Amino acid sequence: MRIDSIDKLAAWRDECRKRLDSQKKKVLVCLGPGCLAGGSDKILEEFHEILSKKKITDVTLEAVKKTGCHGFCAQGPLVIIEPEGIFYTKVKKAHVKEIIETTLEKGELVEKLLYKERNGDGTDHAIVDYHDIPFYKYQKRISLRNVGQIDPDRITDYIAAGGYSALAKTLSSMTPQEVIDQITKSGLRGRGGGGFPTGRKWATCAKIESDIRYVLCNGDEGDPGAFMDRCIMEGDPHSILEGMIICAYAVGSREGYIYVREEYPLAVINLQNAIDSAREHGFLGENIMGTDLCYDIKIARGGGAFVCGESSALMKSVAGEVGEPRAKYVRSVVKGLHDKPTVLNNVETFATIPVIINEGADWFASIGTEKSTGTKAFSLAGKVKNTGLVEVPMGVTLRKIIFDIGGGALKDRKFKAVQTGGPSGGCLPEDKLDLPVDFDTLTKAGSMMGSGGMIVMDDRTCMVAVARYFLGVLVKESCGKCVPCREGLYQLHKLCTKITKGKATEDDLNLMENLSRVISVASLCGLGQSGPNPFVSTLRYFRDEYMAHIRDKKCPAGVCRELITFNINDQCTGCLACIAACPVEAITGEKKKLHVINQDLCTKCGSCYEVCNFDAVDIK
Amino acid sequence: MTQTDMTKLDKIFNNNPQSPGSLITVLQDIQREFRYLPREALEKTAEILNVPLSKVYSASTFYAVFSLKPRGEKIVRVCKGTACHIKGADIILEQLESGLGIKAGETTKDLKYTIELVNCVGACALAPVMLVNEKYYGNVRCDRVMKLVEKD
Amino acid sequence: MVNITINGKVVRATEGEMLLDVIRREGINIPTLCQHDALEPAGNCRLCMVEITRTEWDGWKKYVTSCLYPVEEGLIVSTHTSELHEIRKTILDLLLANSPHSDVLQKMAEEYGLHKTSYEPNLEGDNCIMCYACTRICEVLGKSAISPVMRGHEKVIAPPFGEEPPDCIGCLACAHICPTNVITWTDENLTRTIWKKKFELIACEKCGKATISRDFAEYLIEKRGLPKEYFNTCDDCKRVELAQKMGALVDKAKEVAL
Repeated sequence: MRIDSIDKLAAWRDECRKRLDSQKKKVLVCLGPGCLAGGSDKILEEFHEILSKKKITDVTLEAVKKTGCHGFCAQGPLVIIEPEGIFYTKVKKAHVKEIIETTLEKGELVEKLLYKERNGDGTDHAIVDYHDIPFYKYQKRISLRNVGQIDPDRITDYIAAGGYSALAKTLSSMTPQEVIDQITKSGLRGRGGGGFPTGRKWATCAKIESDIRYVLCNGDEGDPGAFMDRCIMEGDPHSILEGMIICAYAVGSREGYIYVREEYPLAVINLQNAIDSAREHGFLGENIMGTDLCYDIKIARGGGAFVCGESSALMKSVAGEVGEPRAKYVRSVVKGLHDKPTVLNNVETFATIPVIINEGADWFASIGTEKSTGTKAFSLAGKVKNTGLVEVPMGVTLRKIIFDIGGGALKDRKFKAVQTGGPSGGCLPEDKLDLPVDFDTLTKAGSMMGSGGMIVMDDRTCMVAVARYFLGVLVKESCGKCVPCREGLYQLHKLCTKITKGKATEDDLNLMENLSRVISVASLCGLGQSGPNPFVSTLRYFRDEYMAHIRDKKCPAGVCRELITFNINDQCTGCLACIAACPVEAITGEKKKLHVINQDLCTKCGSCYEVCNFDAVDIK
Repeated sequence: MTQTDMTKLDKIFNNNPQSPGSLITVLQDIQREFRYLPREALEKTAEILNVPLSKVYSASTFYAVFSLKPRGEKIVRVCKGTACHIKGADIILEQLESGLGIKAGETTKDLKYTIELVNCVGACALAPVMLVNEKYYGNVRCDRVMKLVEKD
Repeated sequence: MVNITINGKVVRATEGEMLLDVIRREGINIPTLCQHDALEPAGNCRLCMVEITRTEWDGWKKYVTSCLYPVEEGLIVSTHTSELHEIRKTILDLLLANSPHSDVLQKMAEEYGLHKTSYEPNLEGDNCIMCYACTRICEVLGKSAISPVMRGHEKVIAPPFGEEPPDCIGCLACAHICPTNVITWTDENLTRTIWKKKFELIACEKCGKATISRDFAEYLIEKRGLPKEYFNTCDDCKRVELAQKMGALVDKAKEVAL
């Protein structure tokens, strides 16, 4: 059906809702990246397989559907039964039959699959409805509103959830200037990390005299450790399209691109499906919803280059060139793709637009802090219990995200630092955990909020090695055009490696500090300018750890291989676990007898340490 | 290049606007079709899209997804994202390299396996992550690496 | 016209001009490596960075590459602060680490009190500083025969597949523009070799001396619409020929006058 008038949409929405409401029970199978890796596609198949042979009252085949990432990846694969919100965790294909027979047929719970929350005394209690789980309880989902709730391939799901109503409102009752005013008033700032006011960007683009303007979406998400945008592109692609179309109306654009990383093949497929069905239903293309608005979107696939997250490099890549950032001092909103005025916003920013239009700028501005309004999505990963995708109001503390939502460090180890902002960001220690998370505070503390990747590190993470890791990523990803970034980061990485090998001196450290300053001011683009951050921020908060490597030739976290040895102490019960885990057969011993590590064979991989349940492996 | 290869190539050119702006898209399509960028295909691309060969070559070597050498039937990708890194991706890679006898970026002589590194596949919750072709493996333990690779 | 202040002195400049040009016109010396008058500025070497501010910026300042920064009314520019000295010195230090044998770089570094690199020198460095001057001139004058290959620290300037570049016409523009003299070529017995590719040199019909490569001649004839026989003689012989013609004319004029 083609929606060729605003009124027609309302009628269609009623129809879509009626159809959904007729499904008494719904089964949502999470096909987000985490659950998919756990085999959730097989779980969905199994549901369909069994239910196609067996008729159950209240459950239609259509009501069992795939969704994008539901968020709580640590507990995946997830299956959710609505309307009760029954939350089944760590589901396997073999459990499907039981879920069908027990929950769908009899209305009873499968106890063993319920989420268990740890009590203060070390016992557990089960929680049925996921809304009551701490991981979800503290969240507020705006950009992720539909992710994990709808089938990304069914436009009818999006419509039923209120989709394209913001576009209808825009086209029927707002002028382009009113749209820009609303976005400006909402205080929305770019979610890609830069934090530039979105409304101001749109206003600048709209004002420039030009026959052609482009609206582009940045789905490059190159920060290692961030997967918010991926989950929105895969789980709710229409929300991005709707945001882009509204922007196209506001700035006067007829053409746009979504730039997606090559590493996200499913995002490309889901976005393409969404674009095709939006076009078919009259939300893209000529005369959108029967109005004068004409706008269409194409997908541009990335080529695996982190620097293409930088706006001018991204635009070069879209234009079919090598993604080297442009050196000229002209903003891309003025001269962007093909030298035409271009709005480039990130996935999360566009996904937020329809909600602002529907709920109003004041409502959005009332969430978050004065200068960072609204909510922000984060991907929580690393050594934290509840890895997953979260969205919280701006201004909540790091502690709330990491401990209340994230459950604290994995295996109850000691929290050491949280890395935010990807390679351009930095590491913050425990005493910064009460800082509110927003665009400006974390930057002042020497890191940045960035696009929203948050990696938790415990006492087994060496901060020098972390800095070296990020510098290594940047050395590989530098485009190589300007000297400070190409040569400077290369030398910085080399010197950092020298520290991890226990061969550096304090002079080397001074040289690194000076070099870092020059790289930051003299590099051509953001990649180089923020390149030294991982080093600078770890040095700022963990100087002792650097000094331990330099002066004492020790790695306190027990990570840098040249500086550590593994030994088995007399806590060893002779359980054979480490012998089985050792990949190089360096451990010998018999059952119930003390095991021994052959130092000549040991590669210091730490596998024995990880599997030992008796604290019998010492790292020194 | 065989006749069928040329037909495949022509199809790619016909599916894209034959102008310099299509360069990256065309290269991606060629890579998808042939699993690498054969030299003749690059030369043909330069001719059809009217781009200097040097620029085609430059783009082919700039973007990490492109390979100028034939790659293996199974492409084993080790995620080197931050979460995977702090959870031991290096050790996974070492196991893989010693198990297959090649380094990252290389292909075994029998064209069976290629090891590649990726910055982040966005499955951080399952770190460390390894992919064999399109199949994800999460929470990979280093003593299981080779078993996963040799599976099916 | 716009007014800007450079190191305390008010200077007039034309709109659209780049800062570097104005600074140099004032006789102020700023080192550059990737800049060349025949080329669009690229901003690769970062040596020409200057500090800029404006009265209304309230003490806030920033560093920009002057080769790329267009003049603006009211701009206040400093070209030689201690921070800029440190930036230039560090850049030269980094370049020297990668090309320790380059006499051009050594000489420039000496001016900043740097006798050797602070980093571990790459003894196999080839002196290429990745200024792109060669690829840029090739794009303007030739047929884009060479290009940057790979990325980051592994980046090199090379012909496609590292083999003889099919589009090279042997014009030597790349070799002549290279600031660190990395690109080498040989001319022997009417054969020129550059980028491993051999070119036939045209021998002057009159004196037999080698002139330009035949490929380059053909390219120029086509591009500039020159007569086909234009490159049959060398520039020297063309000059002699012209002088003789002029002389003959003068003689004839004298005859007529008499």
